[in-house]
Amino acid sequence: MWCVGPLDSITVTPSPSLALFGGVGKTPTCSLHLHYPSRPLQALPTFTLANPKSYSKRALSFRCSAALTPELKNTLDKVVTSHKVVLFMKGTKDFPQCGFSNTVVQILRSLNVPFETINILENEFLRQGLKEYSSWPTFPQLYVEGEFFGGCDITVDAYKSGELQEVLEKAMCS
Amino acid sequence: MGVTKEQVEASLTSKLNPSHLEVVDTSGGCGASFVIEIVSQQFEGKRLLERHRVVNSALEEEMKEIHALSIKKALTPEQWKKQQEAEKPKPAA
Repeated sequence: MWCVGPLDSITVTPSPSLALFGGVGKTPTCSLHLHYPSRPLQALPTFTLANPKSYSKRALSFRCSAALTPELKNTLDKVVTSHKVVLFMKGTKDFPQCGFSNTVVQILRSLNVPFETINILENEFLRQGLKEYSSWPTFPQLYVEGEFFGGCDITVDAYKSGELQEVLEKAMCS
Repeated sequence: MGVTKEQVEASLTSKLNPSHLEVVDTSGGCGASFVIEIVSQQFEGKRLLERHRVVNSALEEEMKEIHALSIKKALTPEQWKKQQEAEKPKPAA
């Protein structure tokens, strides 16, 4: 894979938004950990599907276009509005695992705004669902006040033009 | 496996009819990473986020294989012209 470090070195930092994921319900009966067989599941955000039977069908088209279930959409609605600035990224704030994600973290840090990050490498289900949720094929994905702001290029551009500073200032004041 | 620069160019050309297009394969050969500069009339009246969405959806098929797509420029022909003129070295006085 590209710009991904050793998966075993990922640490999950409990955060309010991750608690949101965990709070959704019980561990699903289907195996979400297929992609990361060597890693423990308990720390991962979990999702419950109303009907596990229908999940097996869904799992078949996992990679195609059925990743965004209504449940996941609801959860994401809550997550993106749980903080003024939310960054879905590869790795964590302190240990970005992709150059593009790192760039956005550094920009946000330099602007001194509080922001929450969610590591999409921790959960393949979340990762695929988010692509649909944001209609955006890549990561990082930056959300400001519940609205999709852009990926790395757009954030860099907006930072250079001063638009990002404006948007963030407005968000912090509201 | 992977996508070629030509495939990316062909898709963008047929869908967005660009007046300027530059695709650089930055993957080092595996075809998973590209940098794009594109000028198209179709960007008129769209803000940057929407322009990127237009490019992303034009490359929907390719994006399944591409992992990093960097859109360096997504301009309208008018913006492009202005930029070109601004970059042109001034004739010596």
